[in-house]
Amino acid sequence: MDIASLQAKLDEAKYLCGAEVATTLLVALRLGRPLLIEGPAGVGKTEIAKVMASALDRELVRLQCYEGLDESKALYEWNYQKQLLSIQVQMNRREADDLTRSLFSSEYLLERPLLRAIRSEKPVVLLIDEIDKSDEEFEAFLLELLSEMQVTIPESGVIRASSIPFVILTSNRARPLGEALRRRCAYLYLQYPDIERETAIIRAKAPNVNEHLAVQVAQAIHDLRQSERILKKPSIAETLDWVSALEALGVSDLTPDAARQTMGFVLKSSEDLEAAGDVLYGQGCEHEHTHEPGHEHCGACGHHPA
Amino acid sequence: MSVYLEKLAEFSALLRREGLAVGIRETADACEILSVLDLSDRETVRLALQAVYAKSREEQAAFQRCFDGFFVSAEQRDAIRRKQEAEAREMAQRRQEAEQEMQVNGRPMDLREDLQEVYVRMGEDKRDQLRRMLEKMQGNLQRSPKLYSNFIRSVFMRFLLEQQMAMEDDAAIGSEAVDPDLALLYRDISQFKEADIPRAAALIAAISRQLDAELSRRRQSRGHSGKLDFRRTIRKGLETGGSFYRLSYRRKRQKKRRLVLLCDVSGSMLQFSEFVLRFIKSMSDISESSQTFLFSEEVREVDPFALQNMDAFRDYVRSSGLFGRGTDLGAALEDLTSRRPAPLGPSTTLLILSDTKTIDLPRAAQALLEARRQAGRVLWLNPIPQRKWPYMASIRTMSSLCQMAPCSTLDELARSCRKMMK
Repeated sequence: MDIASLQAKLDEAKYLCGAEVATTLLVALRLGRPLLIEGPAGVGKTEIAKVMASALDRELVRLQCYEGLDESKALYEWNYQKQLLSIQVQMNRREADDLTRSLFSSEYLLERPLLRAIRSEKPVVLLIDEIDKSDEEFEAFLLELLSEMQVTIPESGVIRASSIPFVILTSNRARPLGEALRRRCAYLYLQYPDIERETAIIRAKAPNVNEHLAVQVAQAIHDLRQSERILKKPSIAETLDWVSALEALGVSDLTPDAARQTMGFVLKSSEDLEAAGDVLYGQGCEHEHTHEPGHEHCGACGHHPA
Repeated sequence: MSVYLEKLAEFSALLRREGLAVGIRETADACEILSVLDLSDRETVRLALQAVYAKSREEQAAFQRCFDGFFVSAEQRDAIRRKQEAEAREMAQRRQEAEQEMQVNGRPMDLREDLQEVYVRMGEDKRDQLRRMLEKMQGNLQRSPKLYSNFIRSVFMRFLLEQQMAMEDDAAIGSEAVDPDLALLYRDISQFKEADIPRAAALIAAISRQLDAELSRRRQSRGHSGKLDFRRTIRKGLETGGSFYRLSYRRKRQKKRRLVLLCDVSGSMLQFSEFVLRFIKSMSDISESSQTFLFSEEVREVDPFALQNMDAFRDYVRSSGLFGRGTDLGAALEDLTSRRPAPLGPSTTLLILSDTKTIDLPRAAQALLEARRQAGRVLWLNPIPQRKWPYMASIRTMSSLCQMAPCSTLDELARSCRKMMK
């Protein structure tokens, strides 16, 4: 696979991205390295894994990280109840050593996402989502898997990968990740798309929306993200939600009223909603004041070029 | 292929010099990936190598600088070489002139090599200032050669040291990263413009959230360091038929941290104090039990939560009469250590934010020793860039008495806060 064909596959899956994303994905894929994707929330980090699974025709195995995640939730767990039951049932029927050995066989092993990914006969896409939310201990635990593609289970030894998964780790930079983890991965930093790409995403995901509205929404979202006053920047998914809401209301032109009525799909806190009024269509409309001749208004501010 | 390998090895070495942790594995990866790419497409090569070599946003900025400097076309390379040769010729000529000029009574002045280099590199107007001073001194020099040759040397040294510091500042500004937020993170806080303040405030909020998350994680970390919790262990045992399969341990009780912040708000320190207070305020872990004092010539205790934004902070400092006055750290520390009830104690960290420029340095040093005796720990945040510390006697004195950390940039400030919490 080359960059052009990968890009074509991503386009096919309606994931519109630039050369940087496609090249980095190809590099990670070719080298068999995990890919660490960082960037603000809502830029499409998780989506890349889903799209890659579909582009490569592989199963997606997802591990959602959170504080307190440990190997019993991520890698494996012994089926303790089954083991206890087995002891009770077989206590008098089998030799003690034999019984003990059998208790740590694969019959009693509960696979969790990491083990499932490396024991799969067919290669999968393994998404380790929001690794920054996990503890440092878990990050250290991942090192063996990421560099050797193997895991060690104390009771049964080393398990090597039957197939090499394409590993994607995502992080919102809620905490700095360790150097050791970074060194084992290829790296990609995703940023919010520019207005042109966001318009293209809207048109790809919501083909019924008219182009004028798509441009207006993309421009307004861009302004909201640029504004220092908006604390939680709108994600691409929220852009699409907004467009869908506008479409459902039959809106074909983003007037201040239409924007105000549907702003709850984009901004989710009262402070941001209040500030959005000023940023987009209030007295402090940023476009009004910063307009260069020939620059198009966002539409939401209610001022349109003649 | 061997030519490419050699080039890649050189490039890896260059990246290593720039601070990127590049190992053999990265070079091997780069080599492997280049063998399947179209090498004539510079942009693809750049992106591919970036994915292999740069492992963070910060490293990407450094990588781009190195790539642009290293992978150049033959014409560009020739142009750069010609330029470098011309510069080298000019520098050689300037060095020769400098040797002639830096003489007293026909003998070369006893100056450090790095200062001689500063003389060579500084602008013609600055050199003129020194030449004029030398001319003026000629008469005196003939009357009392020994006295005036020492005087001239000390004037030269002071002037050249100032120039050296200014040149280092310029270099730091010139090396700003490509990302505006990153640039802000590594820029000297004293160089912030009014327009940068909202972005800096947002950045501080983000870093504080990060620090808070790290701290809560540290607090919640589980370990078997405590004593066995019999009650829980027996209860858990009931789930497994009375066998104590999983042992429960008591968690270590967290020591409550107390922080006493002593902020210098005289003149140029105001901006730094604002930023540090913002950090402290947003770190919920320590701010609950902290006390904040502002000082210039005298000390005032303030409630940092009442000074929610920068304007309120500035207004308070201006109206309190602290602003625009000199700095007397000795008096401030004496006031702090003699207050009752005592703000300092064994479980207290005293955090001093000051550039160490104070009247009566010996008194300040004495008072700092007393504060160190009373407080569990003293940490000094110094907004003067660390590279300038060796030139300042007051910093040398104070840093020998307590732990001093730089906070001239937001990045350094965050690092210092992390250190403080350990």
